[in-house]
Amino acid sequence: MVDTTKNTKLFTTYGVKTSKTVTTEVASKLISKAKRPLFVVGTGVLNPELLDRVVKIAKAKNIPIAATGSSMIGFVDKGVNAKYINLHALGFYLTDPNWPGFDGNGNYDTIILLGHKKYYINQVLSATKNFSDVRAISIDKSYIQNATMSFGNLSKADHIAALDEVIDLL
Amino acid sequence: MSKLTTGSFSIEDLESVQITINNIVGAAKEAVKPTKEAAEVTGPMGPTPFPSIATLRDWSFTLFDRYEPVYTPMCDQCCYCTFGPCNLEGNKRGACGLDMKGQAAREFFLRCLTGCACHSAHGRHLLNHLIDLFGEDMPINMGASNVIAPNIQLVTGLQPKTLGDLKPVMEYVEEEVGQLLATVHAGQEAAAIDYDNKAMLAGVLDHVGMEVSDIAQVTALGFPKSDPEAPLVETGMGTIDASKPVIIAIGHNVAGVTYIMDYMEGNGLTDKMEIGGLCCTAFDMTRYKREDRKAPYAKIVGTISKELKIVRSGIPDVIVLDEQCVRADLVEEGQKLKIPIIASNEKIMYGLPDRTNDDVDAIVEDLVSGKIPGCVMLDLEKLGELVPKVALKMAPIREAEGLSAIPTDEEMKALVSKCAECGECALACPEELEIPAAIAVAKGGDYSALEELHDYCVGCRRCEQVCNKEIPVLSLIEKAAQKAIAEEKGLVRAGRGQVSDPEIRAEGLNLVMGTTPGVIAIIGCSNFPAGTKDVYNIAEEFLNRNYIVAVSGCSAMDIGMYKDADGKTLYERFPGRFERGNIFNTGSCVSNAHISATCHKVAAIFASRNLSGNLAEIADYSLNRIGAVGLAWGAYSQKAAAIGTGCNMYGIPAVLGPHSGKYRRALIAKTYDDSKWKLYDSRNGSEMAIPPSPEFLITTAETWQEACVMLAKNCIRVSDNNMGRSIKLTHWMELSEKYLGVLPEDLYKFVRNEADLPLAKREMLLKMLESEHGWEIDWKKKKIISGPSIKFDVSAQPTNLKRLCKEA
Repeated sequence: MVDTTKNTKLFTTYGVKTSKTVTTEVASKLISKAKRPLFVVGTGVLNPELLDRVVKIAKAKNIPIAATGSSMIGFVDKGVNAKYINLHALGFYLTDPNWPGFDGNGNYDTIILLGHKKYYINQVLSATKNFSDVRAISIDKSYIQNATMSFGNLSKADHIAALDEVIDLL
Repeated sequence: MSKLTTGSFSIEDLESVQITINNIVGAAKEAVKPTKEAAEVTGPMGPTPFPSIATLRDWSFTLFDRYEPVYTPMCDQCCYCTFGPCNLEGNKRGACGLDMKGQAAREFFLRCLTGCACHSAHGRHLLNHLIDLFGEDMPINMGASNVIAPNIQLVTGLQPKTLGDLKPVMEYVEEEVGQLLATVHAGQEAAAIDYDNKAMLAGVLDHVGMEVSDIAQVTALGFPKSDPEAPLVETGMGTIDASKPVIIAIGHNVAGVTYIMDYMEGNGLTDKMEIGGLCCTAFDMTRYKREDRKAPYAKIVGTISKELKIVRSGIPDVIVLDEQCVRADLVEEGQKLKIPIIASNEKIMYGLPDRTNDDVDAIVEDLVSGKIPGCVMLDLEKLGELVPKVALKMAPIREAEGLSAIPTDEEMKALVSKCAECGECALACPEELEIPAAIAVAKGGDYSALEELHDYCVGCRRCEQVCNKEIPVLSLIEKAAQKAIAEEKGLVRAGRGQVSDPEIRAEGLNLVMGTTPGVIAIIGCSNFPAGTKDVYNIAEEFLNRNYIVAVSGCSAMDIGMYKDADGKTLYERFPGRFERGNIFNTGSCVSNAHISATCHKVAAIFASRNLSGNLAEIADYSLNRIGAVGLAWGAYSQKAAAIGTGCNMYGIPAVLGPHSGKYRRALIAKTYDDSKWKLYDSRNGSEMAIPPSPEFLITTAETWQEACVMLAKNCIRVSDNNMGRSIKLTHWMELSEKYLGVLPEDLYKFVRNEADLPLAKREMLLKMLESEHGWEIDWKKKKIISGPSIKFDVSAQPTNLKRLCKEA
């Protein structure tokens, strides 16, 4: 299995607390066990290698997709429940217990993150980290320090292999 | 005593005695007190002239009620006082009692205040300098307008007529900046929302300070005056003729450079040497004495992202600095290539020797011999002589030595082969560029991947700071991109200054009714997430759609760098008026005041609202009726935070690029909370439901494609007539389909009746509204019978301010 936990070198520090690294096994368990998961993807998922895997993960557990940035165009006719939302607004709404969510059934307990610019997602997650209880699991290529749990920094090849492991384990 | 005014008077019985009164303390504030006498002179005065921290708090809080502060702290810790450092994670309180939100709000506020101080101090410097040169009585001349200082009039109530009239405006701004800065001290403020109110005031003061700066220089330095046909200026690194001696000016304050240009003109040097600039000094150099539309000889090299690149190229023979947006490593970088650095403003002195009082030729000798790497020169007359002389002497010396940091072909091969591909540079790169992969390709002799990085690279040099092999990564990129850099030749229209009153009269109705779909103001710096072409793409998209595109500063430069298939820039393809389908460049950073002022002018001139000391009412008008949205796509500076926040207080929303989450505070509305989307109808004070737009006052987007969709949506205003709404919905839908692949989910929230729906898609949309939202449709008449939650009333007078309602 890919060791997704070893490289946690920071590109800058946000302070005293950084996310715990997570193996593919634990990441898939957390995703599977989430009561109200939301798959928050950035425009980076338009890379075909990633897009295919996002669709597989979403379908495996019927997870709704928050298609942030301009990623929505990748999900047209893919048979997944994807909706566009601005990432910064989403970060705010996740801190509001009264947000009805995309389906009207309320806020989410777990967000899964993929395809983001690391500086942008880290900044947005500094809101959820400090002002909400939402659990943020990053399965991105870079270590996302403001997530609750994150893969470490991975090579492209290892990242794809790790995502495939997550898909197999779901 | 209150009847005394500035000027001179004689006392009849005392012969040969004359008393001159230069300044009456408090006279300006006294003059705007809403008395009957004052109203006869200056027109009616609004309720808030010369606002201090508490004065406009109600208006800030009205905005915050819908547009809630969203904090994204940059750090879990507060390291501000010696009680700390304190861990505030999870919104804990620190030793002083301040919680995480309060700390994030304070940090954001401090950025806005810093930006405001920069522009205002720049304004003060220019104003004092120009009054020294031309006198206090020099009449302000901004072109064909009666409303010549909209921000100043709106905020202070003053209507300046001369340069001297700008002094009390600066005094007011400086007093408030001091009061605001005091609140940053530990133990001064507790509530995050009150820091947010202070940030809003700092933003407003920023626009006042910017307006003073640009009014002073437009008036006194012969800049274009509300001129839609201001001349085109060459822009780009490739425009500089390196075979001539080259002067490069960097910064924002053009005062010193005007002396250099005067010296060049006086000594017949303008065609014998090059003068180019980076950042906003560059823009103002090209406006200097160009009200006659003569093509400028000064050139624009580019933005702060190009500062190290132009230095490393070895092209400059001397660099002159003034203030703001100047890299802190220029002396070190310049010294390596024997490029003398002349600091001409007290704000940046770089540790260099102050040679202000020395003989110019002696300084030239010391600089040319390398005895000193640079110097401070605060006497602008001497500066004007010193800089060209240094360039003329250094050019042959530097040419003979072939000074450049760009590696030779052999050096390049050796440097790329040194790379261990450890990945440290990629981790440090703020743009997340795949530097190791590009170098790996370069090892095989193919530099195309490195060349591609050039446009995405912001020239920060963080890659070099972490490289274990001490590879000058930036220079490798520049070497690989030599051909592309040589071809970087664009055109930008010189800053025109304000939008004139006649233009407002002609366009106001279209804008408020929505038949001109909106104003997209593309401003700010160059910290773009995906290269400089983003801003060009956005500008072109909206120009093709007949929006008005306003631009300024570094974004205006980068927009001019790209051409269509016929080799034309957007400035050549689209005219420069305040009119649909036009692109107008107001000028440098301080010229951003003219963009916000355009909204004030629409309210004052088109809608006949009183401008003086009446901020909340005018801002309320803009928020509800003027479809204007700002875009600071590469905002990096504190000044950009101040400009955007000032716009917010004025009721103008802004979209920023993804880096700008690092400012720490956004203002975003809950589109799902219907209680937030109501206004009063001022005809009778009744409540009216409104569509959720603008849905933010300041927020970020990840990509330029997403930004396009957001900009179009957030131009929708409650006041749109049917045709206007239908035009705006058309653009929003088309952009959403183009860039997101889908129609907007919440389109139905913006439909009041069938006439709002674009004709070409009306039937399809009616079907969608019926099937997805249960709306009742009369299919024979193709009319909506029931469904919309908002009503169309052409006579409604929407306002957030209860006091403006008739019953109040």
